[in-house]
Parts: sequence; structure tokens; C-alpha cells
Amino acid sequence: MNSSLTGFWKVGLLILSLFFPFAPAWAQTKQTVAGTVVDASNQPLPGVTVLVKNTTNGTSTGPDGTFTLTVATDNPILVLSYIGFKSQEVPVSGRSQLNLSMVGDEQALKEVVVVGYGTQEKKDLTGAITTVSGQDVARVPVSGFDQALQGQVAGLQISSSSGSPGGNTSILIRGVGSVTGGNEPLFVIDGFPVSGAGGGNPLNTINPNDIESIDVLKDASATAIYGSRGSNGVIIVTTKRGKAGKSQIGLDVYAGYQEISKKLEMMNAQEFALFTIDARNNGYLDNTPSTPTFTPRITDPNSVRPTNFRIPTSLLDPASLGEGTDWQDAIFRKARIQSYQVSASGGGDNVRFGVSAGYFDQQGIVLNTGLQRYSVRANVDADVAKRLRVGVSLLPSYTRQQDLPYTGHYGSFGVIQAALAQPPNVPVYNPDGSYGTSVPAPDAQSVSVQSAVKIANEYKNPSTQFRLLGNTYAEYALLPELKFRTTLGADLNFFRSQIWIPSTLNTAAATGPALAVARRAESISWLNENTLNYQRTFGQHAVNVVGGFTAQQEMSDAIAITANNFPDDLVPNINGGIVVGGANQGGNDPAGRFQDYTILSLLARANYVFMDRYLLTATIRRDGSSRFGDNNKWGTFPSASLGWRVSEEAFLKQQNVINDLKLRASYGLTGNNAIGNYRAIGQLGNSNYIVGDALTPGLVRSSFSNPNLGWETMKQLDLGLDLAVLNSRVIFTADVYDKRNSNMLFNIQVPGATGLTNAVVNLGEVQNRGLEMALTTRNFVGDFKWTTNANITFNRNKVLALSTDAERIFASANGQTANSNVTMVGQPIGVFFGRRQLGIFQTDAEATEYGAQPLARAGDVKWKDSDGNRVINDNDREVIGNPHPKYFFGFNNTFAYKAFSLDIMTNGMVGFDVYNGTFMLNNSGVQNNTKYVYDNRWISASQPGDGRFGRSIRGGRNNNAQYSSQYIFDGSYLRIRTVTLAYTLPAEFSRSIGLQGARVFATGANLLTFTNYPGYDPEASTAGDNLLAPRSDFGSYPIARSYTAGVSVSF
Amino acid sequence: MKKNLICLALLSLGLSSCKDFLTVVPETERTTANFYKTAADFNTAVVGTYSTFKHPGLYGNGAGALIWLGEVSTDNTDYGFPRTVASAGAFEIEDLNFSLANIYFRDAWLGHYQGIGRANGILDQLPDVSFDATLKNQYEGEARFLRAMYYFNLVRLFGPVQLITTQVNDPYGTANVGRAPVGEVYALIENDLKAAEGQLPATITAANAGRASRWAAKALLGKVYLTQKKYDLASAKLKEIVDANVHSLMPNYADAFSLATSFANNREVMLAVQYKGGQIGQGGSFYSQWTPFSALSPDFGVTGGAGDGLNRPTPNLIAAYATGDARRAASIALSYTSTTGVVVNEPYPVKFRQTGIIRGESDVDFPVLRYADVLLMYAEALNELGQPAAAPLNLVRTRARLANTTAATQPALRLALEQERRVELAFESQRWFDLVRTNRFEDVMRAHGKPVQPFQVLYPLPQRETDLNKNLAQNPGY
Repeated sequence: MNSSLTGFWKVGLLILSLFFPFAPAWAQTKQTVAGTVVDASNQPLPGVTVLVKNTTNGTSTGPDGTFTLTVATDNPILVLSYIGFKSQEVPVSGRSQLNLSMVGDEQALKEVVVVGYGTQEKKDLTGAITTVSGQDVARVPVSGFDQALQGQVAGLQISSSSGSPGGNTSILIRGVGSVTGGNEPLFVIDGFPVSGAGGGNPLNTINPNDIESIDVLKDASATAIYGSRGSNGVIIVTTKRGKAGKSQIGLDVYAGYQEISKKLEMMNAQEFALFTIDARNNGYLDNTPSTPTFTPRITDPNSVRPTNFRIPTSLLDPASLGEGTDWQDAIFRKARIQSYQVSASGGGDNVRFGVSAGYFDQQGIVLNTGLQRYSVRANVDADVAKRLRVGVSLLPSYTRQQDLPYTGHYGSFGVIQAALAQPPNVPVYNPDGSYGTSVPAPDAQSVSVQSAVKIANEYKNPSTQFRLLGNTYAEYALLPELKFRTTLGADLNFFRSQIWIPSTLNTAAATGPALAVARRAESISWLNENTLNYQRTFGQHAVNVVGGFTAQQEMSDAIAITANNFPDDLVPNINGGIVVGGANQGGNDPAGRFQDYTILSLLARANYVFMDRYLLTATIRRDGSSRFGDNNKWGTFPSASLGWRVSEEAFLKQQNVINDLKLRASYGLTGNNAIGNYRAIGQLGNSNYIVGDALTPGLVRSSFSNPNLGWETMKQLDLGLDLAVLNSRVIFTADVYDKRNSNMLFNIQVPGATGLTNAVVNLGEVQNRGLEMALTTRNFVGDFKWTTNANITFNRNKVLALSTDAERIFASANGQTANSNVTMVGQPIGVFFGRRQLGIFQTDAEATEYGAQPLARAGDVKWKDSDGNRVINDNDREVIGNPHPKYFFGFNNTFAYKAFSLDIMTNGMVGFDVYNGTFMLNNSGVQNNTKYVYDNRWISASQPGDGRFGRSIRGGRNNNAQYSSQYIFDGSYLRIRTVTLAYTLPAEFSRSIGLQGARVFATGANLLTFTNYPGYDPEASTAGDNLLAPRSDFGSYPIARSYTAGVSVSF
Repeated sequence: MKKNLICLALLSLGLSSCKDFLTVVPETERTTANFYKTAADFNTAVVGTYSTFKHPGLYGNGAGALIWLGEVSTDNTDYGFPRTVASAGAFEIEDLNFSLANIYFRDAWLGHYQGIGRANGILDQLPDVSFDATLKNQYEGEARFLRAMYYFNLVRLFGPVQLITTQVNDPYGTANVGRAPVGEVYALIENDLKAAEGQLPATITAANAGRASRWAAKALLGKVYLTQKKYDLASAKLKEIVDANVHSLMPNYADAFSLATSFANNREVMLAVQYKGGQIGQGGSFYSQWTPFSALSPDFGVTGGAGDGLNRPTPNLIAAYATGDARRAASIALSYTSTTGVVVNEPYPVKFRQTGIIRGESDVDFPVLRYADVLLMYAEALNELGQPAAAPLNLVRTRARLANTTAATQPALRLALEQERRVELAFESQRWFDLVRTNRFEDVMRAHGKPVQPFQVLYPLPQRETDLNKNLAQNPGY
């Protein structure tokens, strides 16, 4: 026990020690030992942990590498440990001054990596697994650890498609593997595979501060042990557990604020008026034929113009309008973010504990959005008998969220689009205090755009989620080398949400019918796992075998109830109106029902190491699942991998440059069971008829029973290289892989003679090939330390087969544009598909000469006539963009000097396209648009703009706003993700104020993004997880920049 | 062995067997697994099989494929709609210039096989279940009757077709099945109808209005015989209906179709597709959709938009009605007065007229089999057998306020019957089938000025099907 603990904490720990009997060592005779620790080049090593073996008594070396420690006199042994160096044990042997030196270790190799159903030393690993420490996750101030992983792992592509607190993150390991099934990796939290069943984002419910480590399993060797759930990769999250000896109480706090990282420059009121007048004039001239007695001119007054081409009275005098309103200022705000966590961990030889309680509060940068999370972690491990260890992990959390329909069209209350589209001459508030709005449309020349502020204030969509993830285990050593482990756990998830749209809020009229929706979803998943582990070394042979079986069941139940016909707005929930629908009334929500899903598995893995250099791993899993048809109930998923530690061979033992060199190869089969529940079971549908002059129910078969329906099959080959050189100061890992997913679920056309027209069957194939590399270098290791972590991934995605070679699966991410993306053979999944813009016609003659667009005039968009038939129609569509990056990377540097450290994380994604629907919407001077469009549009042959945007025109006969490559932009970016400056208080000072240690830090997140993308953020996407139509920016919630400062204290 | 081990362990956890653990059924949706158990299950299945009548490939709600393939493709009617890209497929039918991808062939094929699949499901499952024998008999009879009717349409529209007589459970199950000879298809139809006429009830109660009786089965069987030119069998079967005196002609022609003459009082209709308004998804649009294109008129008595001129009577058809024929006015209006008071000379069918309704929400039923048809078929069979055939024909003419036929020879009576069927059964999707049955399609259509090819007495197989099944040969000529 640290004698400088304050009385308060002493009392606290005494109480704790009643429950957790660890052995205090303060009653023995003492002596003082001093020492210096240096490295091989005789440089002092600060921060080395010096611990008396088998006690909690210890210290760490100061900046000059020295330490002093009071020890018992019975010849204690000191244990020195320091990251990157070999730990060593030094008997004190009565000395009072010790001069010690430590030798560099093949540091990463000693690391223990969490693999499915066990752990493995990194040196023995033959699969492709990347480990991220909890520390690296916690340093990004975000709500969920998924967002924090961005840029940290090669092969892991993370896109924050929404900047809302708790917003969606698209997570892909080694590319998009499935067209119709799920693409998210399997998340295993403390041994429990979780899913998103029942509503809410499960990843938001875990406090990133509670995470000890995250292991990303990428190749088949690593994931095949998860069988039919492994094909999209596996992310294993391990929460912090207590360690024997070091009792600690910690407090972690940070707080700060966020703001929009980039505002779009919109037209101001005057520019909007000029743009509108231009659009009306162009439309008027184009649509009004000249007669012998009348020639339309732009000077014609409104009185002679058709309604559509009149200039709104409010915009007739642009000069008088000035700047007007920037509606972004009205809906975006500086928003607070704060996080508090208290934790305690420690224990004795028999019982170890790790507990924490946390509170996280993040306001959204959009008005009235936010997330709050209350979380608790309680992990206890106890050796209750000599051979029996039991333990429990509990992760309860309660999350509240305030949402709005921020993305999408303003006609569906899309707040961001409403702010962008609102004419800038409309004030946020009228002089009488009422909301400034274009609802109802002020005149026939305008459209209704509801006030974004009014939507944000009056639309209510709160939700809460209670989640308890609990897992217990018992481990019994039958023999010293043979252990039996059984676990029983459950994941309970209770989600509720409400929507309230008052009668005062409507997108078309001043008032409208109020609407309320109430949703409840709960899911209960239980899991039992039973494994035997045998581990033994016989001379040159080391064997580690795991085998076992597991059973899991997941039940979810969700209802959605809609009410309308509200007499007033006094009761803002379904009770105030008349309930009109239940069950699936909550939109197209498939969760609106009861679902059940079971899975039984047998699994085994054998690791064999010969002479510490020849490595073999073989795994197999058999999964039986309720989702699969009767003829395919059980699937087998084997994998094998080989490793060769070349550096252990005699011919490399003689040199000092290469510390480690390992070659790896793996091949295996995994499955994707994210094919939905009950798909194999034939269903009945209603086909009613009139019998006896009354509606009479008829029931008919509506889908095939498909007893052959099964999982999607992923075959993956991985070749890898691990290299550590120069005293392990340079560590390099590279993998190449080829993943092929076949037997995908498809809804195919079947012959009519079957009595049905469609059937769901397994077919098709998608390939992902790639190269991923990670490099860690410790550039400076003295007083000034500089460590670099870099990784880069190249992935190529290609559809090899669909139900037919000609099949085109169209998809669209937003309601504005149908069929914006296509999935077809020979192309990556979900490429942008549409007309290709060739430019802008500079003269009427040029348009006439082109011929394929008879209605086009100067200033109109020119499209490619792909089939050369001089008619532009849907047959001229072609692939106009690729949403998948050519490569993505992370580049993270840590600089440390004495007690200061500076951590800079950058990441980027290069060579992908984004469809920006914001630009598309507003070209006719009805809604506002960006200054970018205003500046770059075609005005005349002498002011041709950038060649992308045509003239502004209302009622243009060429329909310039047609979906085309005009709206596809390169999204490549480089982002400074976080910059963290930290200062660790001197140990002496800390102790003097009763602390064991203290660190203060300041973090800036998303400080700078380098990109040519003209929208808010190239990552933001309305598409969410819709990978058939990804990267569609249509009023996406922009990602926030944040500034936080915090303190981390241990007692 | 390993699997048994884990199941053993599961049992110890208080779970049921392995197989049970992995078998879950949807609790919020009906599945085929727990269906076909009770009489009520079979009743809903039979109702579902009747509902195929409303598939767009049969009668639909007013624009089903049988309207197009049975009337618009003949000299009876045309499509009073602008020729646009969108309506090109419809005009292919009117012009007898077909593309193989035309949706009316596709829908007709899919719709009839959908009904056949539903009937097959019932017939497969019935033997395994025991419940009230009378009901079981009736359900089997209905399934057989409907399967026969759907196959009868298919074999007449397309010629040899795939003969599927059990429920297909494999999506690829029919992918290699070729076309069965016409004789085999007719054998199944006759077999089904012979069974059905014994199984179906002799009388239909008001609560069961819309379901088939044994008389409907006999009428259909008579038509099947007649189509195969089995005149002795046809005349014998149709005579059974005439002699039984269960059905008779309504005194007024219009009453056979009128809503006012309810089921109990309408002895003429033997089977009709049932419609009911009130926005329950069961309304008919036979009348409202057939009013002139884009026209609004108080004459129509319909709110909620304009019609699209489908099944517009040709001048040829209007001229076919003899002076004094009461059926003309009951079938066709020659003009309407627009909302601005202008009289527009555009004819449209009024046979299924119901006023005071929202467009598409009519209650009027669409006749599939009626007694006038039986009498005319009976006359046709007798005439072909060389027996006196004028009497049944004259019953129909008398009801139409026309004098007895003057045709005295067999050929003259053939033409007299053709003419009678045309005006009696106009707009009931009989014309194409009648002309093809009597080998008159080519001559009549040429006379009408349509360049019809001899092979067009069969429609082409839909391209969707020939694409999906390489053994499905296309009809000659297409």
C-alpha cells in the first residue's frame, strides 16, 4: 500500500480489503534500495516499473533513470519491466545501490493477442490479427469505440457517415463482402458475440474508457473459429479486469466543446435574388415561343409572364437585400462534450476486481440533438479453489439520445437540408417573434421550406436504451495442462423511442395533422460456451488445443404504434390521439415483430509449434442455425495456416539487424449468416376475395420453403510477413489477401409454372483482393521519444457473378434520385451509375449540332450518348463513379519529452467518389444553393463557369438537374483526426498531493481536413450502412470539430 | 456422435433436443409449415384460389389480360387511348403485332399458373387430413374446377403448356419441364371437371355466392368438349343443365348484369368474378375504366377521375346489333355529354354500369359462365351434330326482343350463332376464344382489316418464361 494515501482512501481501501483479501505487506522490516536503470547504449531509462516480486510494492524510475524503493529485508527480488524491453528479475541480495541495464526486447512479440476462445503469444501467431490498446481507443473523444478505431488498423475501413452523437459508423474489414447479406464484422465483447437486434446501436453502449484492448481478426485462420459469423471479420473487445498486486483508483475526466468543422458557403440574399431572377428569365425565354406579334424578353414584367417564371416580389430588388440569413448559423451550435469515469481495480492472489462507473454527455452540433450515457463495468475474477477460477463481467449501461430527422429532404423534415434550402432573405425569426419560414409557400413562385429551427425545436424524437451485457465463467484445471472452461452469459437490450410531430409543424401548410409514434424493442440473447484447453510443451514441440461447443439464442420483440387524429397538441405522445396502427406501422421497420434465432456450434483449434520456428494452426467450426434450411442446417468452416519464424533459423541467428522475421500463410472457409431470420421458411400471404358479398380471407403460399437455404461462403487466402529490425525499433507487417464470397442470398426470378415468381436462393460471387501494411517505428528513444505508427490498405472489390450476367441491382440512398447506384458483374459493388456529363453547351449552335438533346440550348448540360443513337435516355447510363477508396491509411505520431507528450493522429482515404445531392436539388432558384454553384455556373460563353454547372433555369426543358456525373465528386481527404498534448505530473509532486500519478491533457479532434470535396465532409453519407448505394451526401450530419481538456488521476 | 454429445449437454441445460433447438418458426407471420390442417385452413386456401380471378393476368379489376386478349385483340373493341411509349404494349395487342416481352402474355401466364399452384397445393394436402366429408368433397371439387378452368384458359391462349399437377416446392422444379401435348392438358381438364361435377354442391347458398356449383362445372365441361369438337359429349353435358331447369335467362337482358338483381334473383349467372366497392381492395373498374379516355361527364355517374377508353366498342360491333335488339342499349352508350354540355360521339360500354361510385370501386360482378352462353353452346353442339338447333338460339333472341332466327342450314346457323354470341356476350372476353374455336379468327379479322397471320390463333409464350426454361419451345411463327 502506498503510504501517502489520504486517510479517506485508506478507509475506503480497508473496506474493500474486507471483501477482497489481498495481502498487505507493510508489517515487515524494511531497507531502502536505490538504483539506476539504463539501456544497452547506457542511456538512462525513465518510467521503468520496478516492483518487488509477488507484492504490490513498487515504483518507477524518474527522468534520470533512478529509483528508490523501500523493501523488506528478506532478500526480495525486484522485477523490472518496461515496454520494449525484456523484463528481468534482480535479487537485491542485501545491496542498497543497484546499477541495472535492460536489453531491448522483440517487444511486440511478447504481446499476448486475444484470439477466439483463447489467447496466443504474438510470436506464435499465424493469422492476421491487429491489436489496438484501450489507451489508443480512449484518446479520441467520441461516444463509441468504433469511431475511435478509424485509421488505427490496416484493413479496417471505418467511415463516420453521420456526425450525430451516437451516429452510424460504417465498419468494413477487408472490403464489402456481401451484396444482400450483412457486411458488419462480428463484435465479441468479453467473449459474447453481440448483434444489433432489437434497435439502438450496441457499440454506443460501451464506454471506450472501459476497454483494455481491441483485437481485429482479419484472415480466415483467425475468423474461421467463428464459423458462420466470421466472414466479415471479427472485432474482439476486452474490457479492463483487475490485476493482482496493483490496487488503484482512477478518475478520468474530460470536457470541452464541439463545433461544425466546415460551413458551406451559401448564396447570400442578394446573390440568391440574382440567381433566382436569372433562373426565371432563362426559363421564361426557353418556354415562351415567339409569335409574329410578341417576342419574350427578360425585361418583360411579371404581369405578362406565366406564373412559374415570375420573379418573386421579395426578390425583385436584389440590391436591397444584402447578406440575409445564413441558416447554418441558426441550427448549428457550439455543443458541449464531457466524460467522467471513476474506476477501481486491484486484488490479491485470490481475487481480482476491476470496476468503474462512467457518465458521458455529448450534445450534437445540430440544435436539440445529443446523447448521454451512464455506464458501469464490474469485472471480478476469483480463484475459489486451487484448481477452480470463476469470474464475472457485467457491463450495464443506460443511453439517452435526442434525435431529429436531420438527414434527407426538407420535405421529410430533414433539418440540415431545410437550413440549406431556405431562401436567405427569410429571417430566422420575424419581428413578431414567430419563426421565419416559407411554409406555406409565400407565392406561386416559391416552394414551402419549413424553418429548420422550428423543426429542431418542435420535432421530438427521444430514445433510451438500457443494455446489460453479462458473462460469467468457471475454469477448472483438470490437469495442470488441461483446463475446462464454461461460460454463461446474456445480453439484454431494451430500447424505446418516440416521435412527436405537433400540428404546428408541417412541411407544406401552416398547420397539419399531428402524429405520434411509440416504439419499444427488446432483445434477449443468451450464450453458453464450454471449452477444453490443453497446453503442453514436449521438448521441441509445443501444443495448444482448444475444443468445445456453444449454444446461443437471440429473441427480439419490437412494436411500433402510430397515433393521429389529435384534438390538440397538449399530450405529445400516442395517448393524446387515436391509435391507428400497430405492429409494423413504424415505417419499413423489419424489427416490428417477434423474432427468434438460435445457433449451436462445435469448435476446435490446434496450435503446434516445432523448435519455436515452425508454426501450424488449424481450426474448425461446425455451426447449426435456425436460419438455415433443413437440408443445410449444419455448415463446416475449416481453416489452416502455417508460419515460419525465419529469424529463429541458425543462418539468421548470427546477425543483429533482424530481430524477428516471420512468414505466414492461411486459407480457410468462413460464413456469413446475416441472411435474416426465417428466410428458409415458406410463408403465407393474404389473397382475399368476396364470397357471399362479404370480404373473405384467403391465404395462399407467398414464398417458397427453401430447405437448401444456407450461409454465404467466404474463402480467403492470406499471405503475411512480420518483420522486426534494429533492436525491434522498426516493426513491419504486411498481408496480401484474396477473399471470395459466394452463395450470396439472392431473390431470383423463377418460372411461373411453379406458381410463384420469385425465390430466395444462394448464388453469386464477390471478390476482395488487397494489400495491407503496418509500420511501427521508434524513431527516437532517449529523453526525446518519437514513435510512428503508420498503416495503409489497398482493397479492390469486384462482383464476379450474380444470378445472371446481365443482372443489375439498382439501389438508391436517398429519396431524390432513384437508381443512383448499381451492382453488376465486373464492377465493384454499388458503383455510381448514370449519365455522363460531357460539359456545358457554350452556344445554341453547339447544342443543335450535337443533336441528341433537341431541347438543349447554350448553358445546358451535355450528356454522353453512350449507345450512339442520338437519343439520350436511360440506355445511355454508364458507370460514373466508384464509392470505394483506392487506398486508405492512418499515420500516427507520438512525441514525448520528459513529462510532455504530443500525439498526432491523421488518417485519410484516397480515390473514391461521393454523390452530392445537395447541389442537385437547388438549381432553379427556388431553394437556396451554395456559393460554389453561384460562382461556377454557366452564365454566358464568356462566363462559362467551371464546366460542371449549367445555367440557372427554372422549368428548363433540358432538365439539367438530371442525375449524372455532374454531381459526382472526388472525396479524397486527409484528416488530422486528433492532436493530444499531455503532461504527466512529476511523481514527487503527485505523491506530495496524495496521488499516485496524474496526467493532464488537451485534445483537438478533426482539427483540419484537406480535401477538394465541396460538401460538408466526404465521409458524411445519408446511406449509412446501405453498401449497395454508399457515399450519398444529401444533407448529411456533418462531423464535428472538438476541443477537449481533461485530467487522468490515479490514487 | 459429436453432435449427439452437444445435444446431450443441451438437454442437461433444460433444453429440448438439438433439432428442436434449431427449429424456430415465425410467430408473427403465417407459414406453410403449420397450414393445411383444418377445414378452415382449406376454406381460406380455396378462397385464395378463387381470388386468382383478380390477378392482372386474368380479369384483374377491370384491365386484366383476358380483357385485352379476349376482346381488344378482336373486331369487338379497341383501345381509345393516345399512342405513347407507355401504351405501346397495349396497342401491340390491338394491332396483333406482338413483342414477346409484352406484359399481357406474361401476366396471363403467371396468373393462371399462380391459380394452378394454389389448387395443386390444396389437392396435394387434402388426402392427408380428415374433416367433414361434405366440406372436404366440396373443397376438392372447387380446387379441381378452378385448376381445370385455369388450364383451359392456358391451353386455349398458348396451346401446349407445362402440365404441373402437384405443388412445386423447388424454385428450379419446373425449370426443365417442357410443354405437354394439348391432348394431355385436355385430359387433365376433363378429368378434373368430371370429378368436380360430382363433388360440387347442386345449390349455392347466398353466403357462398361466388363459389362454383356443379352446374358451373357442367357448363365449363360442356365448353371444354365443344372446344375440342366433341359435339356429342358437349350436347349431352349442356342438355343436363337445360333439363335441370336450375338456371334460366333473366327476363330483361340488362338484369343479368345489374346490381339490382341480387344473387338470389339472378338465375342466369352461373359463375362470376366477385367485386365489392367500399375501398376494401375488392372494387371493380370494368365500367369506370372503360369510359372514354380523359373524359368527364355527369352521364358516367363516377367520381374520382376519368377513364382511359379501354374496350371501346368498334363501329363494326355497334353495327352488329340488329335494329330493335334490346342488348345494344344495355351494352353500349354511343355518346356522352361533357361537363361543359357538349355532346361527344364516343361510344363506351355500359354493360357493367354502376353510378354513384368512386372510380374503381364498383360492386358489379363480371360473368364467367352464364346460362345464355350455355344455350348458345348447346345450339352450336346440336348444329354441328346435324340436329335441330334453332330452339335454344331463339330463347336468347326472344329475350333480346328479336324474332326467331331465319337461318335454316347448318352453315347458316353457324354464322347466326357466331353473330348471336358476339352481341350477347360482348365485353365478356369471349370473342377471341369463340372465333378461334370455330376456326373463324383469320377470316373475320381480315374482313375487319387486321393483317392477322394464321399462326396467331395462339399467343406467344412470354419471353420471361422461355428465358428461364430452355426446354420451353416458342409457338411457331413467333
